Amino acid sequence: MMSPSSARKAEKLGYTNVKVFHGGMPTWKKARGEVISTVIYPKSMIDQGVPFVAVDLREEKDAEKAHIMGAVGIPANKIKSAMAMFPAQKGAPIVLYSDNTENAMDSFAVVRGWGYKNVSVLQGGMDAWLKTGNIGISGKLESKINYVPKPLPGVISTGEFKKIADTKPSDKFILDVRDEEEAMMGMLKGAKNIATQELQYRMDELPKNKEIIIHCITGVRAEMAYHALKEKGFNCRYLNASIEIDPDGNYNITDN
Amino acid sequence: MKGKLSTGILYLAVCAFLLISGTDVLAAAEKPTITKPCVQCHKGQKDILRGKLDSVSMKAGTMKVSIGNAVWLVSFDDGLEVVGAPAVNKIKTGKEVAISVVREGADVRAKKITVKQPAKVPPEKLMKVEDLKKLVAKGPEMGKYTLVDARPAKRYNEGHIPGAISIFDGQFDNSITKLPKDKDNMLIFYCGGPT
Repeated sequence: MMSPSSARKAEKLGYTNVKVFHGGMPTWKKARGEVISTVIYPKSMIDQGVPFVAVDLREEKDAEKAHIMGAVGIPANKIKSAMAMFPAQKGAPIVLYSDNTENAMDSFAVVRGWGYKNVSVLQGGMDAWLKTGNIGISGKLESKINYVPKPLPGVISTGEFKKIADTKPSDKFILDVRDEEEAMMGMLKGAKNIATQELQYRMDELPKNKEIIIHCITGVRAEMAYHALKEKGFNCRYLNASIEIDPDGNYNITDN
Repeated sequence: MKGKLSTGILYLAVCAFLLISGTDVLAAAEKPTITKPCVQCHKGQKDILRGKLDSVSMKAGTMKVSIGNAVWLVSFDDGLEVVGAPAVNKIKTGKEVAISVVREGADVRAKKITVKQPAKVPPEKLMKVEDLKKLVAKGPEMGKYTLVDARPAKRYNEGHIPGAISIFDGQFDNSITKLPKDKDNMLIFYCGGPT
């Protein structure tokens, strides 16, 4: 839990009216609250070849001048009748954008209302996309959504991770890349802790003949560690989910 | 007599071993590390040990504290200040503690030991989702609040609550300029929630 910790630090700085929204992002999403993504998100998915759905909500003539690569064109006033175009997977990442944030908000409610859990509105819309130096594609937009889910490279499924954590097979090695301070609160049995920022100095402590299974708390640092180890020729995968571990080594994994 | 002596020697040997392993940790902690800007980085406080209390020997005036994978041997005397427990031998083993220490050569001497209290947010500080929705509908300016996403920036980029700013908990100390100047302004934090 990061928010109570930040709240305490803010109070130490003298803030007098500090609150914690304890339910955090999962509760907000469940309550169908609006979700905003930044241009970095679609940019990184395009760069990494991660499948996602980009929907351009502007009028066709504006969208054809410049749009995000691979975007499908559905003007905001037609979104309500476009349900059949959307993918079967309710967890598909969907980014809705217009020329600014505000103009995409109504469409968010519609798509979220259909049960899509990972839909977001692009902050600043197309203006922000172009202003941050990203390429606007001109010409016809996609007329159909082609969403084929693909696992991220290097990601281990929650099921397989659990099996490894529970049975500790001799050909696997669990690496915990949280800070020492965090690991102190509880680690998986048999795991080794090397903080992400220490990893580059301590690679000699890792086996070359085993598959290294990396975890942190949310998957962010584990992903960085994965790339660092992969580059050095290690055989590894990482958990891209949230994990909490108690002092006895019991754990609980939830999808991000 | 002889038995007692050998126990004493054994005890000394154990102490020496623990002291050596303790110094190893110290050496490792002082190794320069280059931190990437996007990595969570807690700056360790050199004079404060944080770990789990393993055992206390009132007779020897020592306690063992687990920090990560290492065990530290810390000595203390009657001057030890105890916070959060009636006495040092009343602290349950396995409890998380913070110990202010002074180092004299190989000796690590405790001045103050604080028992970590469970991190619980008092109810008046909790924000309900309905109340947050009302505030978000107004926006930070009208609603007179600052909403802070305490998750790593990558999660913020993927999806955050409208109007939230991103200050990852792990980089809080380096990001205080992002906080509002008015310290009476309502400041709301959220993260990935309890799991």
